[in-house]
Amino acid sequence: MPDAPILQVSELNVFRGATHVLKDVSFEVARGELVALIGANGAGKSTTLLALSGLLPARSGTARMTTDEGTIELTRASTETIVRNGLIHCPEGRQIFQSLSVADNLALGAYTRTDKDWIAQTTEEVYRLFPILREREKIPAGALSGGEQMMLAMGRALLGAPKLLLLDEPSLGLAPKVIDTIFDVIAELRLRGVTILLIEQNAAMALEIADRAHVMEHGRVTLSGTGASLMENDRVRQAYLGVSA
Amino acid sequence: MSQYLFQQLINGLALGSLYALVAIGFSMIYGIVRLINFAHGDLVMIGAFATLGMLFYGTPWPVTLLVVLLVGALAGAMIQTVVFRPMLGAPQVTGFIASLAVSITIQNSALMLLSGQPRNFLFPEAMRQRVSLGGVSASLTDLVIIGLTLTLIAILFVIVYRTRLGRAMRATAENLMAARLMGIGVNRTIVAAFAIGSALAAVAGLFWGGKFGQIDPLLGSVPGLKAVIACVIGGVGSIGGAMLGGYILGLAEVLFVGLLPQAYAGYRDTFVFSLLILILLIKPSGLFVRHVEERA
Repeated sequence: MPDAPILQVSELNVFRGATHVLKDVSFEVARGELVALIGANGAGKSTTLLALSGLLPARSGTARMTTDEGTIELTRASTETIVRNGLIHCPEGRQIFQSLSVADNLALGAYTRTDKDWIAQTTEEVYRLFPILREREKIPAGALSGGEQMMLAMGRALLGAPKLLLLDEPSLGLAPKVIDTIFDVIAELRLRGVTILLIEQNAAMALEIADRAHVMEHGRVTLSGTGASLMENDRVRQAYLGVSA
Repeated sequence: MSQYLFQQLINGLALGSLYALVAIGFSMIYGIVRLINFAHGDLVMIGAFATLGMLFYGTPWPVTLLVVLLVGALAGAMIQTVVFRPMLGAPQVTGFIASLAVSITIQNSALMLLSGQPRNFLFPEAMRQRVSLGGVSASLTDLVIIGLTLTLIAILFVIVYRTRLGRAMRATAENLMAARLMGIGVNRTIVAAFAIGSALAAVAGLFWGGKFGQIDPLLGSVPGLKAVIACVIGGVGSIGGAMLGGYILGLAEVLFVGLLPQAYAGYRDTFVFSLLILILLIKPSGLFVRHVEERA
């Protein structure tokens, strides 16, 4: 079924401790699409991604990833299996391995990959996208600037051979120039056919680049549409784009 | 160098090797799951009795060494899987108390099975002779202990810093969640760290018996405690730090007894703990750790 959505989330309920964080969340991501999740802090965006990569258990509901290799139930599979099948999650706060070298961090990104030539080629490509990483190859990743760490986190994610890439707040705390670099790479990945699910505080930037977007409020998806249509939506403009009515 | 000083130095390095082997495993386990494993010293005892059993059957030494490594690794893997795995993510104190329980269980099971009677333990004649090196001499046992320890540590460094497993272990130790997101099977990686650390402690048990000539089911307490001190000296969670801490501790103990008048010999542990307190006051993160990040 080449036309099945790569990601199908339906009626997903997730608790963190006693708190009901995701309430019947349903949405789809088609192949090759760039879909943005926008919403306020605490709306459940990061929780959604954590549940998709198997780091948080779902109380009920399903999340299904369909690729050429088949379908996996994300709520039942281990993170290891999920990553091996091409769902790569670039988490909030970058979470690079600070004490390990830049090269080691990239090698860990390719942990599930076995094709040595592919790894060498892709590492080369990451260095082409982010030349600064090549210069810093040998130094501990913790010594990089925030922007460089974000580039490393993106590079590391690319080495996992993502079919579906989950990006959690890639622009957080970065200088505008670095944000541009990161978004250029996101755009390039999309042109190459990588499906991307993007969380972004900066709703304007996210909507501009996204094919479609979902607005999350208090653990629910409350509004969905194309990026352009949501940009025109009065509620979105008021709540997330800082435009007064 | 005078024979006396040389003898003390070799003696200290041999004792330091024992401490280093135990401390490295303790440190690896702390590093990867933030567990203060009070049962770690008991692996020394398990290794010592495994050696005794092999001696009984007259197994050749290289085979004995391999079997002891294997017994230690299996015991460590089993303890992790059965006791500590279900506690992953629980508060640190839970693991700490569980490790005390494991230690008591191991010690008392050993007392029941093996009785509290100390057993004599001898390396073969050939290993107990003295060798002369240009005017000075040393016990071959000590030299073998030092040589094998350094070899094992070198192998460990290759595993940790040059292999895929080692990289996965370092990643898991630093950031469990991110390691999961790399597709690392963190449970397997943690078991591997326990197995490797426990294997080193078991080998320390083999050496312990050879050096002191007697073993009993409670012998693990002292090396366990000394490992903690060695780790604090060198920096908890760092393998190189644990190693150096072990050697510093061993040398300090021996030189203190050897170089001061006989009357002070009984205060060996007083000196060791004073050293510990001094280091905690001056450099609480350990001598060989540049910065410390405590993960909750």
